[in-house]
Amino acid sequence: MSQKTQGSRLEIQGVNKFFGDFCALKEINLTIEPGELVCFLGPSGCGKTTLLRIIAGLEQQSAGHLRQGETDISLKPPRDRDFGIVFQSYALFPNMTVTDNIAYGLRSIGMPKAQVRNRVDELLILVGLEDQARKYPAQLSGGQQQRVALARALAPSPGLLLLDEPLSALDAKVRHHLRSEIRSLQKQLGVTTIMVTHDQEEALAMADRVVVMNSGVIEQVGTPLEIYQQPASAFVASFIGAMNFIDSAPMNGQRVKVGNRELDLVRPLPAAEGDVRLAIRPEDVHLLPSGDGEWEGEVRGLDYLGAFIRTHIRLSDIELDLVVDVDPRSARRLDLRVGGCICLNLPSDALHCFAA
Amino acid sequence: MSELDPGNCSMIDSPVLSTPTTRRWPTLAGLRQRLAGRWVFTLLLVTGCGVLTLLVLAPLYTLLSKSVENKAGDFVGLENFAHYLSSGGIESAFFNSLWVAGLSTVIVVCLAFMAAWALTRTRLPFAAWVRGVLVLPILAPSLLPAISLVYLFGNQGVLKDWLFGAEIYGPIGIIMGSCFWTFPHALMILLTAMDNADGRHYEAATALKASPWRTFWTVTVPGARYGLVSAAFVVFTLVITDFGVPKVIGGQFDVLATDIYKQVIGQQKFEMGAVVSVLLLLPAMLAFIADRYVQRKQSASFTSRSVPYTPSRDRKRDAVGALMLTPTVVFIFAIIGMAIYASFVTFWPYNLDLSLNNYQFGRMDGGGWGAYTNSLQMALGTMVIGTALVFFNAWLMERTPQPKPLAGVFQFLSLLPLAVPGLVLGLSYIFFFNHPDNPINGIYGTLFILILCTVTHFYAVSHLTAVTALKQLDKEFEAVGESLNASRWRVLFTVTLPLCLPAILDVALYLFVNAMTTVSAVVFLYGHDSQLASVAVLNMDEAGDIAPAAAMAILITATCAVAKLIQGGLRFWVDRSTRAWRQGTE
Repeated sequence: MSQKTQGSRLEIQGVNKFFGDFCALKEINLTIEPGELVCFLGPSGCGKTTLLRIIAGLEQQSAGHLRQGETDISLKPPRDRDFGIVFQSYALFPNMTVTDNIAYGLRSIGMPKAQVRNRVDELLILVGLEDQARKYPAQLSGGQQQRVALARALAPSPGLLLLDEPLSALDAKVRHHLRSEIRSLQKQLGVTTIMVTHDQEEALAMADRVVVMNSGVIEQVGTPLEIYQQPASAFVASFIGAMNFIDSAPMNGQRVKVGNRELDLVRPLPAAEGDVRLAIRPEDVHLLPSGDGEWEGEVRGLDYLGAFIRTHIRLSDIELDLVVDVDPRSARRLDLRVGGCICLNLPSDALHCFAA
Repeated sequence: MSELDPGNCSMIDSPVLSTPTTRRWPTLAGLRQRLAGRWVFTLLLVTGCGVLTLLVLAPLYTLLSKSVENKAGDFVGLENFAHYLSSGGIESAFFNSLWVAGLSTVIVVCLAFMAAWALTRTRLPFAAWVRGVLVLPILAPSLLPAISLVYLFGNQGVLKDWLFGAEIYGPIGIIMGSCFWTFPHALMILLTAMDNADGRHYEAATALKASPWRTFWTVTVPGARYGLVSAAFVVFTLVITDFGVPKVIGGQFDVLATDIYKQVIGQQKFEMGAVVSVLLLLPAMLAFIADRYVQRKQSASFTSRSVPYTPSRDRKRDAVGALMLTPTVVFIFAIIGMAIYASFVTFWPYNLDLSLNNYQFGRMDGGGWGAYTNSLQMALGTMVIGTALVFFNAWLMERTPQPKPLAGVFQFLSLLPLAVPGLVLGLSYIFFFNHPDNPINGIYGTLFILILCTVTHFYAVSHLTAVTALKQLDKEFEAVGESLNASRWRVLFTVTLPLCLPAILDVALYLFVNAMTTVSAVVFLYGHDSQLASVAVLNMDEAGDIAPAAAMAILITATCAVAKLIQGGLRFWVDRSTRAWRQGTE
């Protein structure tokens, strides 16, 4: 029994799911490569958990196909699929010790006793719980329970690991620690992993690729960097990180009109006709001393958030409120005060452009 | 791995694939796959629905159709009802039943609310013992308080003067007796409702400078309102459908329950018995529907964010609590004490020497010790069959994939017995199982039909207990099991059942005690070889052997108390041996 297992490739083709008349998933197409960690990210009710449960076979898709490795698993019951799963509640069996919980899946497939013992020891070491083997779940901390659930899911060496909001029941510190632990464990084992989360920070920090979902459709698939820097839609732009939106009218070529000013764009305009929405991240706005920039505004509020200051600025001539993140040193230099005047530039290479 | 993967061979081509070397695998794998399929569970729950239809719905239907037929079996419409109306039955029995049950309900709910308040809102010493005493009546057959009341207030009663010349035989006796045995039912509902109080509400009231009296009316009472309504419906149904108390102490005072008995056993007018049954079914059904409606509203009132209330030390409030508990505790001790004493008195009231004469049941009519051993067998059978059936069905409904409508039908059938009075159930069993065309009419008159009837009679409450316990388990256990290649069956035996053991013990005790003490359903069904102890109490009382009747009632109570002790011991043992994995879960 080797530590390194070959993760399997997963193909999702045209999956739809209806609950009565409600369309929970619409034409989902996605391929997940062996050994990859993919996060399904989206607000609650976007269908991410439903998709995970369909992959596990716990829900039946209304249409579409699933292929794991070379096998079509579309119609297989969960027992005949090759995956391990960790639920938000962990669902550890409270009447069994840590050892018995981890051994549960191994005993199901009738593995000889000695082998079970070895494999359980291996996993206990892997998740760092060697000294907790005889304890019951209720005697462990939340983080330890989480690791037991992970060990239990990994014990039969599945090709696919499914994590359903695995960290949301933990407090912030443990969560941050376990995040990197799960990630390194996953890399070490090479198991293909799908994690469902509504926490964007978690998704960006852990995933090879992020699948952003909204009301049953995939909005964007990409690496964390792509998702953040090149959001494919206004939804992705607003859901990941903070974003300012500015309504504008397109002019000829690469120009748009905001208020009575014209702006040049680096990125292409959306294909569709009609008004467009410009978007810019709070950290991309350039603040300048009063009188130096293109736009004039008034500081309406300052939120001290530790590493940076979130500044609320009102551009009175186009009646627009902007949020700008400034580091404390620049803030001092600019003499930011509530009620003070400030100038700013909107760098054209930082402007995103979406159909309104 | 892939050769053994059962998913690779569908059931159609598996015979082709079964070469000599792998002959065993495809069949085993096929079986496994079939067992893993959802339709097995659906089929099992359909079977469960079928069993309950046979045990509840079909007999009830027979009873209803009997009420619109004449003796010869021809359809006569509402003629029987008209006949019963014109005979004055409605005025006497129906309205008597209503007001007696109504008044008992008011008294019991008030007393139970006072007791529940004292137990949950004060810090009286010995509160646990008092709780134990207050639920004692549940171990006794409802005949016991009636017999005891005869000794206390009857013609030769020790406290006859206390009634100022009024008769105990009649509404007074029925109400007092009914209050005794229905009190624990109301108390348990109210204790549950009031134990779940949110301490934050009390802190808010204090912070807003509300007086204790205002806090009581604005926090305590509203918090218990669903419990109060529920308790009222339960007590009303129990009293109006009870047969034991009015039979023993009702005298000439007619109520619906005794009327059925008279029509059927006394005059052999089965169709009139069916008519009265329908009249009895109506208020019971209404109470049942109203109660379900109220319960549905209650579910959202206590959230996981609530903080349990703990009473502060307050001497004055403790004294008020003690004052509220005293009358009830004294009354319960008086009734049970009198029955015990009377059962040992040699010849009341002339020879007050204590002896065991009354326990020599062999000398009396009513079935003797044989009736007692029959009862034991019947109660044990009910316990084993009932617990298994209830839990298996509840598990199917709660923990296996089921089509929603099917689960709904099953839930309805499971709760229906709650709305069917025991006498009505018993009578409908005569009609259904004693019918010459019924292929299983052979079980009529045996212990087995008594077991079936009793399981059915007490199915609903057991079902609710089981479902509650199963709902508390993490809803993903089965999903985890499947991902680890374990079938739902394996999860059932290794996880679900061990976790539900306390609830299983509770259901087992509930069924045993009720099977020992019940009279109403079985009084129509016992045969020559299947006399029961509780029925023997009734028959001995009717024959004038009231002291032996008291002795038998005490024997039943003692048996139930022993069962309760055994169950308590088992629960203690289970709690202790599982303490490790339960700790920290609170």
